[in-house]
Amino acid sequence: MTDFPALLRCLSGAGVEYIVVGGAAATAHGSARLTQDLDVVYRRSGENIRRLASALGPHRPYLRGAPPGLPFQWDVRTLERGLNFTLATALGAIDLWGEIAGGGTYEALLPDCVTLEVFGTTCRCLGLERLIRVKRAAGRPKDLEAIAELEAILEERGRARS
Amino acid sequence: MVRVEPPLEPDPVIEAYKRDIDRTLIRENLRRSVEERFLNLMALQRFAEELSRAGRNARTAP
Repeated sequence: MTDFPALLRCLSGAGVEYIVVGGAAATAHGSARLTQDLDVVYRRSGENIRRLASALGPHRPYLRGAPPGLPFQWDVRTLERGLNFTLATALGAIDLWGEIAGGGTYEALLPDCVTLEVFGTTCRCLGLERLIRVKRAAGRPKDLEAIAELEAILEERGRARS
Repeated sequence: MVRVEPPLEPDPVIEAYKRDIDRTLIRENLRRSVEERFLNLMALQRFAEELSRAGRNARTAP
């Protein structure tokens, strides 16, 4: 099980600049679908990479689904050389994205974020409308049902307001 | 400068999927706080793991 509160506290507590996207962002907006991991887009600055490396380091990150014993080292150099990381940690599954299909980088997504106050911490989450646009632009057939639900949420919110 | 996006145009494929969405679940979730939504998700994960474990056991049972 992924401990969402612990992962969010871990990242925010270390001052990591990140945006919650994907299924966890959908959950924050009201989705009832099951998601197994926390997807975040992180800022690719040197300082943020250092923060990210030291925040997750104690939680034994390892490549999710990879056979044990690979010479995978979780450090600044690994983060600098890669972009996207699909990880298993002691706190659960987390996907780190330097950029996402249909959405781009942290900086590109930042104007369309909302701030969440959850579990005693603060984090950024991609806004509902942008989340829909990103998923539409990514064009993955597996997302069609999720997009339909997100659009239904947008409509329900509109109805509640009017 | 504020970026103005054009409104989301309905996509016929997504509209077709939308007909099967359970809106009662959405309305229920929208009444909850964000924290409650995450706690529900974790409960759902636990339930799915338990079902998966039970399924594995059933397959290996003599």
